[in-house]
Amino acid sequence: MGAREDEYDYLFKVVLIGDSGVGKSNLLSRFTRNEFNLESKSTIGVEFATRSIEVDGKTIKAQIWDTAGQERYRAITSAYYRGAVGALLVYDIAKHLTYENVERWLRELRDHADQNIVIMLVGNKSDLRHLRSVPTDEAKLFAERNGLSFIETSALDSTNVETAFQNILTEIYRIVSQKQIRDPPEGDVIRPSNVEPIDVKPTVTADVRKQCCQ
Amino acid sequence: MDATPSSKFSDVDEYGFKRGDHFDYNNYSKFMDGYLKTLTRRRMKWEAILQQNTDLTQVDAKLKRYIRKGIPGPYRPDVWMKISGAAAAQRRSPDLFRNLLRNEPFDKEISDSISIDLPRTFPDNIHFDTKKQRLYNILIAYAHHNRDVGYCQGLNYIAGLLLIVTDDEEKSFWLLKHIVENIVPQYHSHNMANLLRDLAVFRDLVIRRIPAVNRHVDNLGLPYPVIASKWFICIFAEVLPVETVLRIWDCVFAEGYKIVFRAALAMFVTHKNAILGCDDIAALANLFRDTMIQDNIVTDCHGFVEAMFSLRLKRSELESLRKVAVLNPA
Repeated sequence: MGAREDEYDYLFKVVLIGDSGVGKSNLLSRFTRNEFNLESKSTIGVEFATRSIEVDGKTIKAQIWDTAGQERYRAITSAYYRGAVGALLVYDIAKHLTYENVERWLRELRDHADQNIVIMLVGNKSDLRHLRSVPTDEAKLFAERNGLSFIETSALDSTNVETAFQNILTEIYRIVSQKQIRDPPEGDVIRPSNVEPIDVKPTVTADVRKQCCQ
Repeated sequence: MDATPSSKFSDVDEYGFKRGDHFDYNNYSKFMDGYLKTLTRRRMKWEAILQQNTDLTQVDAKLKRYIRKGIPGPYRPDVWMKISGAAAAQRRSPDLFRNLLRNEPFDKEISDSISIDLPRTFPDNIHFDTKKQRLYNILIAYAHHNRDVGYCQGLNYIAGLLLIVTDDEEKSFWLLKHIVENIVPQYHSHNMANLLRDLAVFRDLVIRRIPAVNRHVDNLGLPYPVIASKWFICIFAEVLPVETVLRIWDCVFAEGYKIVFRAALAMFVTHKNAILGCDDIAALANLFRDTMIQDNIVTDCHGFVEAMFSLRLKRSELESLRKVAVLNPA
C-alpha cells in the first residue's frame, strides 16, 4: 500500500446480491483480500470493502457492498442500491432454487436501483462439478435474454473471480467514459433532457486524482 | 500475535471460541491480572446474595448494581431466567417448547434457511459442532411459535450464544423469546420496522451527544444501517468479544432495551478519536468492522460497561426520539 492508495480516476459502487448462502461474502473477500473462508459466517446487515484496479491506464476504485441474502433484510438496504452502477447477481450452481430466485432479484433491482445499472449474472461454486444443478448453457441463455453479462466463478478455487470483477468494472468504465465524451461534466449547463444521466456524484467520481495544487 | 509459550492463556477462550490471529495476549494478560480479582470478589458477593434467597424477579437498586458489575458465569443461566421474567413465562406454559418440537413436519422454507445458517454460526467455536442440532431445535421451535418473525438471520447468533451460556435448549428458547418479543420487539419481523426506527433514534443520539462525530460519519457517507444493523439485530453477539457481550446481556435482561442504546452509544463515544481519524469511507467501514470490535477498549469488558453507564441516557429521551423516528426511519 503506497501513498497512491487513495488516488483514483473513477469510483464505482457495485452491489452483491443473491440468495442466502450462495457465496457473496466469499466472492468479496476473494476479490478484495484474496481470502476464502471455509468457516464462513452468515452476513448480518451490510458489509463493505474496496479494491482498486487498472483499466486503460486509469485507476478504478471499486466500492463493493455485500448484504444478508434473506428477503426481509431488503427493508434495511434501501440505501444499499443508491448510487450503485453495477450489480453482481449471484446464485449457487449447485442449488437450483437460488437460480430460480434470480428473477426476483432482477425485479428488486428494477424497483430500487438506477435503471442504467450494469448487471452481471454470476454462477458461483463452479468447483462443485459433481453437484451442479444449473446447466451453464441455460444460465447463459437466460442472461442473454435479459441483457445481463454472465460468468461462472469459484470463490473457493479463485476461478474467474478476478475476471468477473474486471469485466463488470471495465463495462461500467466504458459506459461512463463514453458518456463523458458525449456529455462532459464541465458542460452540464445545457444537458439534453432525453439523456438519462448515471448519477456521477458522489459514487462515480471522475478525475478526482489528487493534485498538488489542490 | 502468537500464543507464545510464556502466555498463560490458551488460544481458545473459556467459551470455546478460538482467539484470532490478532488477539493481543499481552494486553489481555494485563487486563486479566486486575479482572480476575474482580471476578473472585464478585463471585463471593453473588454467593452471599443467592444464599439469602433474594427474590431475583424484583430488580431493586442493589441487585441492579450487582448485575451491572457482572453476573458470575455459573449463575448466569438461572439469574437471566429469573430477572428477565423468562422463568415465570416458562412456568405458565411448561410444555410449550416440547410441543413445538413435536409439530413436524416443519415449514420447509424456514427449515432450509435455518439449515443454511447452522454451519455458519460460530464456526470459530470448538464446541459448536456438537451443538448444531440443539441450535436447530431452538430456532425451528421459535420460528413456528412466532410466525410473524419466523426465522430471521441473526437469531442464530443470539440463540447460539444463549446455548453456549445455558447449555440448555429450553432455557435458550425462553430467553430468545424474551429478547425477540420483549426487549427488541419488531426488530426481527418481516418489515424490521422497529429496527429502522431505532437506527434512526441512535443516529439522533449521536447527533445530540457527539455532533462532530455524526458530521464526520455523514461526510464520509457511511449510512448508520451499515454501521449498526448488526449491533441491534444481534444485540452485539458475534460483534463484540464474548465476555463483553455477556456483560451487556446481564444488564439487558435486568434493565431492557435502553442498555442496547447505551452500548451502541458507548461504542461511538469511546472511539470518538478513531472515528474522527478516518479520512475515507473505506477506513471508516474497516474501523467498524475489524478494528473497533476487537480492540482493547471493548476487550476490557469491565471498562466498557463502566463507559456505558457513565453516559447520560434516560428512557424518556429514547421514547420521545422514537416517536419522531417512526415518521422518519433510518
